[in-house]
Amino acid sequence: MAELLKVIFEREGIFLHPSPDEGSPDQDLLVSGSLRIIEKDAEILVEYRPLEDSVDPSNMLCAGQDSSSVVEWGQSAGEKSQSRQLLETQQSYETEWDMVNAVSFKKKNYTNGERSLNHSHERSRWAFSVNISDLKSITVKEEGWTFLILQLKDSSSSIPALHFHQGGSREFLDSLRRFALLTECPEDETRLLVSTPSKALSQSFENLLDDNNFGLVHKFKRDPYVTTLGSFSKVTNYIYDALRGTEEQQQQRPPEEVADLLGEVIPGLEINQQEEPGFEVITRIDLGTRPQVSRAEPVSADEWSKHQDPEGRIENEAALRQRIFKGGLCHAMRREAWKFLLGYYPWTSTLEERKSLQKAKTDEYFRMKLQWKSISEEQERRNSRLRDYKSLIEKDVNRTDRTNRFYEGLNNPGLTLLHDILMTYCMYDFDLGYVQGMSDLLSPILFVMENEVDAFWCFVSFMDQMHQNFEEQMQGMKTQLIQLSTLLRLLDLAFWNYLESQESGYLYFCFRWLLIRFKRELIFSDVLRLWEVMWTELPCQNFHLLVCCAILDSEKQKIMEENYGFNEILKHINELSMKLNIEEILQKAEGIYLQIRSCKDLPHSISSILGFDTQHRVSSQVDSGSRPVQQQDACSNGHCRDNRPQNSCRGVFTS
Amino acid sequence: MTARKSLLKVILLGDGGVGKSSIMNRYVTNKFDAHLFHTIGVEFLNKTLEVDGNQVTLQIWDTAGQERFRSLRTPFYRGSDCCLLTFSVDDNQSFLNLSNWKKEFIYYADVKEPENFPFVVLGNKVDVTERQVSTEEAQMWCQENGDYPYFETSAKDATNVAVAFEEAVHRALAADDKADHLIPTDTVKLHRKPRSATSCCS
Repeated sequence: MAELLKVIFEREGIFLHPSPDEGSPDQDLLVSGSLRIIEKDAEILVEYRPLEDSVDPSNMLCAGQDSSSVVEWGQSAGEKSQSRQLLETQQSYETEWDMVNAVSFKKKNYTNGERSLNHSHERSRWAFSVNISDLKSITVKEEGWTFLILQLKDSSSSIPALHFHQGGSREFLDSLRRFALLTECPEDETRLLVSTPSKALSQSFENLLDDNNFGLVHKFKRDPYVTTLGSFSKVTNYIYDALRGTEEQQQQRPPEEVADLLGEVIPGLEINQQEEPGFEVITRIDLGTRPQVSRAEPVSADEWSKHQDPEGRIENEAALRQRIFKGGLCHAMRREAWKFLLGYYPWTSTLEERKSLQKAKTDEYFRMKLQWKSISEEQERRNSRLRDYKSLIEKDVNRTDRTNRFYEGLNNPGLTLLHDILMTYCMYDFDLGYVQGMSDLLSPILFVMENEVDAFWCFVSFMDQMHQNFEEQMQGMKTQLIQLSTLLRLLDLAFWNYLESQESGYLYFCFRWLLIRFKRELIFSDVLRLWEVMWTELPCQNFHLLVCCAILDSEKQKIMEENYGFNEILKHINELSMKLNIEEILQKAEGIYLQIRSCKDLPHSISSILGFDTQHRVSSQVDSGSRPVQQQDACSNGHCRDNRPQNSCRGVFTS
Repeated sequence: MTARKSLLKVILLGDGGVGKSSIMNRYVTNKFDAHLFHTIGVEFLNKTLEVDGNQVTLQIWDTAGQERFRSLRTPFYRGSDCCLLTFSVDDNQSFLNLSNWKKEFIYYADVKEPENFPFVVLGNKVDVTERQVSTEEAQMWCQENGDYPYFETSAKDATNVAVAFEEAVHRALAADDKADHLIPTDTVKLHRKPRSATSCCS
């Protein structure tokens, strides 16, 4: 049986500086490697694996850069290539390590209880693995960078100091705090005493409740999630901050503060990702290879008409949706097809029925339009909300797709239509009124419909889907960011960890993507394609989140290689606008879908985001549990997995 | 190590449609796009300039002005070195809202001494002929609210935009202890201080 392994923390670019008395002949020898915290057989281990035995010290010049600073913009070319070189070697190492993982991490030096330093093998001479219950204390020192000295309870063995030239010591300590209580040593403020799990955690919880510090309690009360077992990490963080005092807080750098504040705005991120109560543990699931996906030609007018019966009903709606999902629509068909996709026309309606529906909807529209058209100046003067909506609509209409022929130039009738529909929507839903971003959602619909009434009702349908994004509390945005983060964590833990280490784990930089469904990211014609594909509601619920994952997957290498921090990630993502290729993205997103779909041991949170729980179940004989029944091809590689008890760790398995 | 670097964070605040993005783009790229979209979320651009022989990187933050987006806008106020309060001279409401923007900034940026914080006020769109706010009114407001420098700008024809930003830089540098921004970089803690450049350049 494969050993179970969960990676809780992983960071490359951690250095050792062995001194000559540690057996190194070279004074300047540096060992670069990766540091991990893993859970294995219910034990929490800290392990270090070197990249290679030594590293050219000149690389250190760049390794010393603060990853989250913005200063790299002015970096010289020479430095850049140097750092890239360093990263490349690390990446190849990462690949190798992944391979090791795939065979269940079968390393002799990781046998149970093993904690002594491993000097046996030449390549892993500097590797070590230590159980955190054997840690006595951690000394935190600064020398232009942070380095940590781990002291063992057994004083006969020692571990070389870990130098965090590329940052990450804080994240490492934060991760440790999930499993151990780190308290400042009264005699030595640079030293953190390590006390072991469960007991320490519940103690810290009691401490918190006893704590009269208003800030703590206040923060605690405001975040009910903290009261659950799973968020002990958070609780211990508060305790830790309180123990450290204000000194630390004053040193906090702005991006970190910004991130903290955003974290409060978008709460529940950590908690949501938990599968089981207890420790918050990140699981690494091997999803297998991502299938290659091909796209199809757009649905033509001929093809569309073949799906209609003589009275105009759409036959075989499911097949048609599937076709639209795979190829989209040719532009000439959009005006008709979008009305069905958006639910303005029922698929089963006849031509006659649609005509009378349209008539009724036309009357209703103009009745609402007259409501704002007939408001006198006097009335408007006394209606500040209407006035605000109106003023903002006027401003935004003049700033929406003005290079599109339908809206360009002065006095273009398209502008008047855009304005009138948005004003009428205010009357239709006065509570929501107008929120910035809505003009972006209407513009493509109006462009396709070229008809005020049809565009309005199609917009109403689209807004039904998007409404929550624009509400006062922006709940829709928060939910989506959390869901996206959950998905990304499953798909790409290393990248997710990287983003988290750059204070970007809540994915704020995807805000614009989600608020207006990529309207500003893609060229106009690609927006039309993406939207019609999404409106098919195939292949799963929240497919647009997989579209996000697909884009991020393409950008991750750049982001990690360049070691982008909070600000640069935001900037980089913002600047992707108009540079994306929709067909590639859709291919990749569908590939990701297939990859997840065929994964046999999906966490419940993932299946529920993608609607696998509620979707029509594929008939299958296996799995009688509450989890969704998976397609049979999950086992197609011949590695059907044994069913583990639900609470067990999900390990890494071969693909 | 001859050149010293420093990073200043400047934030543009004001009602939707007063021209915040246009001002930023004019200053950084010296271009004006009459068809620019309204901003969704937050964006920023960098511009490097030389002040008193020192390289200063200006990081200019631009935000969405609508009330609804407040909660996702305000976190970015933290760490600002200067705030550009912006209104449009053809929109009286945007002028009346300056006080609200100032309050919101001080509150969320967690400014320690609001009376000493460098604000600069911009009355944009002076190219427009139908003004609703006079120069005198605007100057009066600036005087009464903390003696802020006031610039009448036009992002469209580039009037006063660079001057306003340069003033912002000087105010920001003067307000903070200079040493805070221009520390010799080799003494900077790499792990915690993103404000200053690292000294890895030979």
